[in-house]
Amino acid sequence: MNADQLAALAPIITITGAAIAVMLAIAIRRNFLLASGVAAGGILLSMLALGLAWPQSPAQVTLLMLLDDYALFTMALLLVTGLAVLGFCYDYFKDREGENEELILLLLTALLGATVLVASSHFAAFFLGLETLSISLFALAGYPINRARPLEAAIKYLILSGVSSAFLLMGMALIYAQSGELGFSGIGHFIANQPVMNTVVLGGVILIVAGLGFKLSLVPFHLWTPDVYEGAPAPITAFIATVSKGAVFILLLRFFISTDSYGYNPLLSVFSVIAMLSILGGNVLALLQTNVKRMLAYSSIAHMGYLLVAFIAGGSIAPGLVIEAVTFYIVAYFITTTGAFGVVSVLSTPQTEAGDIGFYRGLFWRRPLLAGTFTLMLLSLAGIPVTAGFIGKFYIFTSGADGRLWGLLAAVIAGSGLGLYYYIKIVVVMSMNEEATVRKAEESSGARISSATLAVLSLLLIWFGLFPDHLVSIIQSVSNTVR
Amino acid sequence: MILTALIAVLFLGGGAAWFSERRSPGTPRWVAIITLSFEALLAAGHYARTESTDLLPASLSPVWLADFSTPWIPRFGISFHLAADGLSLLLIALTIVLGFMAVSSSWTEIRNRQGFFFFNLLSCLAGTVGVFLAVDLFLFFFFWELMIIPMYFLISIWGHENRTYAAIKFVIFTQVSSLLMLLAIVVFVLISHNQSGLYTFDYFKLQNTRIDPDLAFWLMLGFFIAFTVKLPAVPFHTWLPDAHTQAPTGGSVILAGVLLKTGAYGLLRFVIPLFPEAALRFAPIAMTLGAVSVLYAAVMAYAQSDLKRLIAYTSVSHMGFILLGIFSWNLLALQGAVITMLAHGISASALFMMAGALQERLHTREMGNMGGLWSAFPRLSALALFFAMASLGLPGLGNFIGEFLVLLGAYKVSVLLTSATAVVLILAPVYSLIIIQKALQGPLKIQLALSDLNRRELTSFSLLVFITVWLGLFPQAVLNVSEPALKQLLQDFVAMEHR
Amino acid sequence: MNTEAILAANLLPLIIYFGAILFITAVMLGGAYFLGQRHRAKAADEPFESGVVSTGDVHIRFSVHFYLLAIFFVIFDMETVFLFAWSVALKESGWFGFIEALIFIGILIATLIYLGAIGALDWRTRRQRIDTSQNSR
Repeated sequence: MNADQLAALAPIITITGAAIAVMLAIAIRRNFLLASGVAAGGILLSMLALGLAWPQSPAQVTLLMLLDDYALFTMALLLVTGLAVLGFCYDYFKDREGENEELILLLLTALLGATVLVASSHFAAFFLGLETLSISLFALAGYPINRARPLEAAIKYLILSGVSSAFLLMGMALIYAQSGELGFSGIGHFIANQPVMNTVVLGGVILIVAGLGFKLSLVPFHLWTPDVYEGAPAPITAFIATVSKGAVFILLLRFFISTDSYGYNPLLSVFSVIAMLSILGGNVLALLQTNVKRMLAYSSIAHMGYLLVAFIAGGSIAPGLVIEAVTFYIVAYFITTTGAFGVVSVLSTPQTEAGDIGFYRGLFWRRPLLAGTFTLMLLSLAGIPVTAGFIGKFYIFTSGADGRLWGLLAAVIAGSGLGLYYYIKIVVVMSMNEEATVRKAEESSGARISSATLAVLSLLLIWFGLFPDHLVSIIQSVSNTVR
Repeated sequence: MILTALIAVLFLGGGAAWFSERRSPGTPRWVAIITLSFEALLAAGHYARTESTDLLPASLSPVWLADFSTPWIPRFGISFHLAADGLSLLLIALTIVLGFMAVSSSWTEIRNRQGFFFFNLLSCLAGTVGVFLAVDLFLFFFFWELMIIPMYFLISIWGHENRTYAAIKFVIFTQVSSLLMLLAIVVFVLISHNQSGLYTFDYFKLQNTRIDPDLAFWLMLGFFIAFTVKLPAVPFHTWLPDAHTQAPTGGSVILAGVLLKTGAYGLLRFVIPLFPEAALRFAPIAMTLGAVSVLYAAVMAYAQSDLKRLIAYTSVSHMGFILLGIFSWNLLALQGAVITMLAHGISASALFMMAGALQERLHTREMGNMGGLWSAFPRLSALALFFAMASLGLPGLGNFIGEFLVLLGAYKVSVLLTSATAVVLILAPVYSLIIIQKALQGPLKIQLALSDLNRRELTSFSLLVFITVWLGLFPQAVLNVSEPALKQLLQDFVAMEHR
Repeated sequence: MNTEAILAANLLPLIIYFGAILFITAVMLGGAYFLGQRHRAKAADEPFESGVVSTGDVHIRFSVHFYLLAIFFVIFDMETVFLFAWSVALKESGWFGFIEALIFIGILIATLIYLGAIGALDWRTRRQRIDTSQNSR
């Protein structure tokens, strides 16, 4: 390893360093503000380190990691989201009794796992990143250990995640057994040189897809999602919904493009069925929910389905547009979902999660700005213009239509119609008049960091919705590097 | 630039109205009035300058009165491209007039959260003006969606007893259908991209795209469904009676007067010029749908006991005329459709305002509970009679001219459908007179000291009366404005047929 | 000799060693089983056949710290395995490997400091800790 490669790894090294620094800070003095401050500083430093890594890209650092422009871009996305979640966590946990500092530590290790994941070019890095991410998430989901819901969420996530890891490993083993390769490019060469379709490799890829399907909560691997979303503290739910899913999806995309697994046509049929089920299933089940967090959980299942439509289109159109579409959608989804759960988190306290829809009754008149932000986020999820979500949906339509996936696009339209119903339902409840009998929700005092974060997210949402061109050109330039 | 200002003024005015609520609860309505006056001045100034065409790029035909274009999302060749011709100008004028009416009818009806109400009202109008001006398909879709959300808020927050259901139904109908349109737009652009290698959403550039006839039919259908849901025509009309009935009066005025017209405008501007052959093939079905809407809605209107619901069904019936006229695709029928758009905008809004005024006084919309109102509100009743007559198509008033021209034009295309549609000339008096009979005549059922129309209401109504009469007696002034635009549309169509 | 033969020659002592272990354990256990006496008396299952009758439950609750400490042991033990791997390739990995190993050990030490500081290595329960701190005051 030389200095250049070290510079390319700098963002990841910085995050690791930040985690250790937080740990030592806790050892020296247990103070939530101190730990959060160190972590925020670490994330910011890591973003600066991205600048250090930028000139080196694309850099293959050992066999395990490939830091190209795309990896760095997605890392930046993950880090920014991590910072936003850190802000929500601070406001959420700062008044909680007990030891909250380890939460920050776990947040950093989860972020470390996610950044490794998006830069991996080898099964080993892939698995290490995924496990670092997942193991941190179990603890994060169950952090308020003395309450039943988070504990249930953590245990559920632990068990299903373990199962999915087993699937993943089995898939890797099958591929390795056939090809003798663990690196993505090596597997790509092996697949390209096969005269006929290798069924064992296909089986391996399907097992990997099943494993990742758990993490992405695609139907039929979605069963954990609503419980975990509902049980985990709201800021952590934001983290699970964005960083964890986004990183895994980016990895899936990278894996498919660099190994050229698009050649396996049966796989695309499998994906189509999964996407169809996710879109329709997610939306239909979301209709039945009366808990906002569960509703958003099912809606995230549907959104992963939409994202898959653009992904599947890669079977018949140029990868450039696919990466562009998927990446833009992920950026829009990150902003929107972080914002939506951010609002939930501002309304929640560690004692009571603002899950039940009754909490939101009359929110428009109680806290107009917060309700306005939430409305904006919901409209973006529904894909209404002026928001980034609309441009994202436009991308899904464009890539889907280019790939001639009419059935899936019909599902997207039907799903959006259903989706609109439950998003609008929340808006309706928020705009209802507050009844005298409604218990006054505790106004969490001084969520200043969260409010600032939400303001920034709303501005970004509208900015990217009105003037997406700048972002699009950045995404275009970084997505050219993926091979 | 002035075109951008037309949209921006309304948006900014809406924002200002929202903020002005902090001063006092009554301020937003004044801000709204000032904004609309400013908008009217802008539009009038624009209208005065229609003769000078120096603002235009040479490539555009002279029917376009103004043009403004700037790149927006170059990645997909999307530009912020606005252009106005006679048709859009007329509809914008209608929008502004009805904007005043909506503000006037909400003056005392809306008591709480006036700032947010007028913000929604004005941004809905801004979206509508944008729809009438956009000639970039992406931009068009953008404004198309943009006007839905404020309307949703208008219905769901300030509506009547069953507002949530109505609002959600409205949003879902329009949204799902507009997604079909988005899909059609995207596919259309991709086809053009495959041919020319360039992405463009520009209306003028896309007109030259050659499409496989079968595919063109599907694309046309995508647009058609979106526009007929908005219009609405049978079988997509079911959202309308609910939305109209539950909306506050101001919302009903905008909905009936302006929002429905965007559907007709879309058919006229996009469906037929972009897919002439497919539209021609589809014309018999579309005209049949139009005729069915006319008759079915007229019968349904007769069966209603809720005043607003009745008026809503008459809207569907009138919109059927427009559908019939547009798909007849000759100058007479198109002129008729345009006049109907304007005249219906005025008369339906006036009737909704009437219903609103009654509801504000009587707290009911049930015609069974009214009765004998003539003796209680002589002025209001006289005006109601006038607009009922206008709505049934009394010669000398605006609606008559429109319907007459449509029937005349459609007769050339299909004798059968025209004769069937003409039956409505019997049905329309029936449903119009039933309002008069049930609500105004007979013994007075309500024993309350109630006030007749006040000065504000009288001013609003007399303006509408004036426009209706003017449209009925001197339609030529309007016809002259819309004629070049319609002729241009027809010319393209003829050229296409000969190709 | 071909590679397989070399492998077999190297493996032979190992196999014999494993076999010997198996044999000795089998003899010890089997011998006790076959040669030992059988008691069927009532008190045969008592822990102290001729002593005091025991009271209470054998399933005492261990302090959770015991498990925590056991896990720490396992974790640190596992980390040492990586150092073995490094020590085998000490020369090949050179100074760079040395620095990496130092960083690795450094992180382990930081973890140990952290564990010490948060009191994870303290056997006392929370209440006992509070009591002692009060007594010392």
